[in-house]
Amino acid sequence: MNLENRKRELVKEFSPMLEKTTKVSKIWMGILVAVILVGIYAFFLQLFKGHEVTGMRDNVVWGVYIINFIFFVCLSYSGAFISGILHFFKTPWKNSVSRIVEIITVLSLIIGPIFILLCIGRLDRLHYLFLYPRIQSPITWDIIAIMTDLVGCFIYLYLTFIPDLAILRDNSENAPKWRQKLYKFLAIGYQDTTEQRETLHKITKTMSAMIIALAIVAYSVLAWIFSLTLQPGWNSSIFAPYFIIAGLYSGVSVIIVAMFLIRKYYHLEHYIRKVHFVSGGIILLIISLLYGYFTFSEYFSRWFSHKIQDTNLLNTLFTRYFWQFVLANYVGVLVPVVILFFKKFRTIKSITFASVIAILGLWLNRYLIVVPTLETPYLPIQDTRPEFIHYTATWVEWALSFTGVAAFILFFILIMKLVPVIPMSGIIDQEREALDKKGKTNQTITE
Amino acid sequence: MQRNIFKNTSFTCFLLALLFSFSIVAQETTVDDYKLSFSFKTIKKFDNTRVLEVTFIGKNREDRKDKIPVFDAEIKFFNIANDEEILLGTAKTSNEGIAQLVLSEKQKYLTDEDGYINLTARFEGSDVLDAEEEEILVKDLHLELNLEEIDSVKTIFVKAFTIDSLGVQMPVEEVDVIVSIEGMLSKMKIKEGTIENGEIEFELLQNIPGDVDKNFTVYAQILDNDEFGDVIQKQTVNWGTFNKLNTPDKNKLWSEAAPIWMYIVLTILLVGVWANYMYTIYNLYKIKKEGKKINISQEEE
Repeated sequence: MNLENRKRELVKEFSPMLEKTTKVSKIWMGILVAVILVGIYAFFLQLFKGHEVTGMRDNVVWGVYIINFIFFVCLSYSGAFISGILHFFKTPWKNSVSRIVEIITVLSLIIGPIFILLCIGRLDRLHYLFLYPRIQSPITWDIIAIMTDLVGCFIYLYLTFIPDLAILRDNSENAPKWRQKLYKFLAIGYQDTTEQRETLHKITKTMSAMIIALAIVAYSVLAWIFSLTLQPGWNSSIFAPYFIIAGLYSGVSVIIVAMFLIRKYYHLEHYIRKVHFVSGGIILLIISLLYGYFTFSEYFSRWFSHKIQDTNLLNTLFTRYFWQFVLANYVGVLVPVVILFFKKFRTIKSITFASVIAILGLWLNRYLIVVPTLETPYLPIQDTRPEFIHYTATWVEWALSFTGVAAFILFFILIMKLVPVIPMSGIIDQEREALDKKGKTNQTITE
Repeated sequence: MQRNIFKNTSFTCFLLALLFSFSIVAQETTVDDYKLSFSFKTIKKFDNTRVLEVTFIGKNREDRKDKIPVFDAEIKFFNIANDEEILLGTAKTSNEGIAQLVLSEKQKYLTDEDGYINLTARFEGSDVLDAEEEEILVKDLHLELNLEEIDSVKTIFVKAFTIDSLGVQMPVEEVDVIVSIEGMLSKMKIKEGTIENGEIEFELLQNIPGDVDKNFTVYAQILDNDEFGDVIQKQTVNWGTFNKLNTPDKNKLWSEAAPIWMYIVLTILLVGVWANYMYTIYNLYKIKKEGKKINISQEEE
């Protein structure tokens, strides 16, 4: 088999995905842009009127923005973690999911920190964080970790794109000129020679190991922002591993949902098969059991120790936040476990459904970590208006939250217009390896 | 706030301030609602100067907390004896309603046959306020304070006496005295006792903190005495201890600079990660360079 011809075939196969935009696709993109425009309006409203337009007040200084921040950043870290493992250990079915994971990693790491900026009341003083950083502060660690991770993820994503960009450069004669130029520029003269291939594999492997380590450090730092305070509900020694497991829980779930949507929309049943969903489902089952275990340990130790502030917090969770608590910690854990545990339930649709439940449950879990704790401080505010004590998100916050999700999906679609969501180079590598093996076997037989 | 409003009025009493003030309370309140308090006292200080002090305030008859100082009121101070009235000086009340006149140590006073000095403070009244006057009779008390270390015991000797017309020292009896030490904000009471036969002695506590030079100031005070008024004497002595100031913590979680291990760990982590990034970029450059070479050779062919 001639690999150059195979590359040409693959480009031909994937080019409709890159070059054609269907009517449905255009409508979806229009809806996403509309959501983003509403979000931009909400942003300017918040910018000019201040945090008054949000539900955040003196007592509850963090709301859905920080929850979205944690959610997206954890998603990114888990993406990096999973991607790193897929590359580092050369997982057999990695080719079908690796690019989805990589795109999720980078996009969520770009969108997540924007939410933290929305939390800041005085954005004009943002540069003070860089001018007068306190090395002792977990916030400083988090800024350093996010920035370092963002650069690392960009480099890593780019490394995995290079072989595909080179294939597209060499086989896109009919593509628009701007696209050809872009491919030529981004492919940096990669010709898929043995030496170049080995160099690229070497640095990708090193970067994948680095990304795994970075994800663990960054996850922990994010958890420490909460757990190093003395706030009830936050001050916990297991918060860092708990965040890692929770992040992986949401990360794997989002990957499964993305796989489902991409498979269905782009008709990639040949590449993204049931086996990928079942494998993802089993991983999700293991993580959901671990996540349930950590959640139980966390609440159980608080309930058993019976410290006044912890008891107040738990009372809030079982009264004011009863349904959210049930949805987050019972439905959000048990439903995925039940679906994924029994083999006969492991269909593509049910695994995807379990993933959606896991995502919603985890988002609610984050809400319950942040808001009720801020509503039950050590020194309660007395004789003040209820809206100053309790938090309810306003339409501005919801609009900006949905804008984040819309931007995430829109950019995902746009990146898929640049390079195929299934790495062509991965397919070529697999076929090359198969050829090499065959050649070696033939050689042995001849000898 | 009320004080600031009143300060802008040129009138010498608080009534106009009350009448023309734009606060709602002032509009509803009249001078009749206030009872004027005019108190006068004298303080003989350690340098033998004498302070004459009048406190002039209006107290709300219904609300005890509502006190308004009468400021800018002219108070005249007199020394009266045998119908002879000598003007010692005048002073105006401050924003707090206090008028003070300091008389030098050389000031001569007229006394009655028992040796009492009649001091009178007088406010001659205004269009809206009645005249006020108060007199006090005091004897000129001499208070001496001596600090001696006897057999390693730091001792305070207080001696109080008057001088009769013949110049003979007359020890005083049954006079309460307070010994205190000057602190940063106020005087800290150490001992108190009653002077008998013109003398009293106190043993001072050990290890009293002093200033940088280990000095501290001891006060002997006779306060609100019917016969002598307020009399104060002080001495500075080198009996204190000096505790070195705590040096600010360095390289702690709460200090300006972080613990050194934090810098080391952070540097190792960042250098390790960024060095890897650089290494990756260098390899990308190598790939690009090789790609260029291949392109050139292909073009040549």
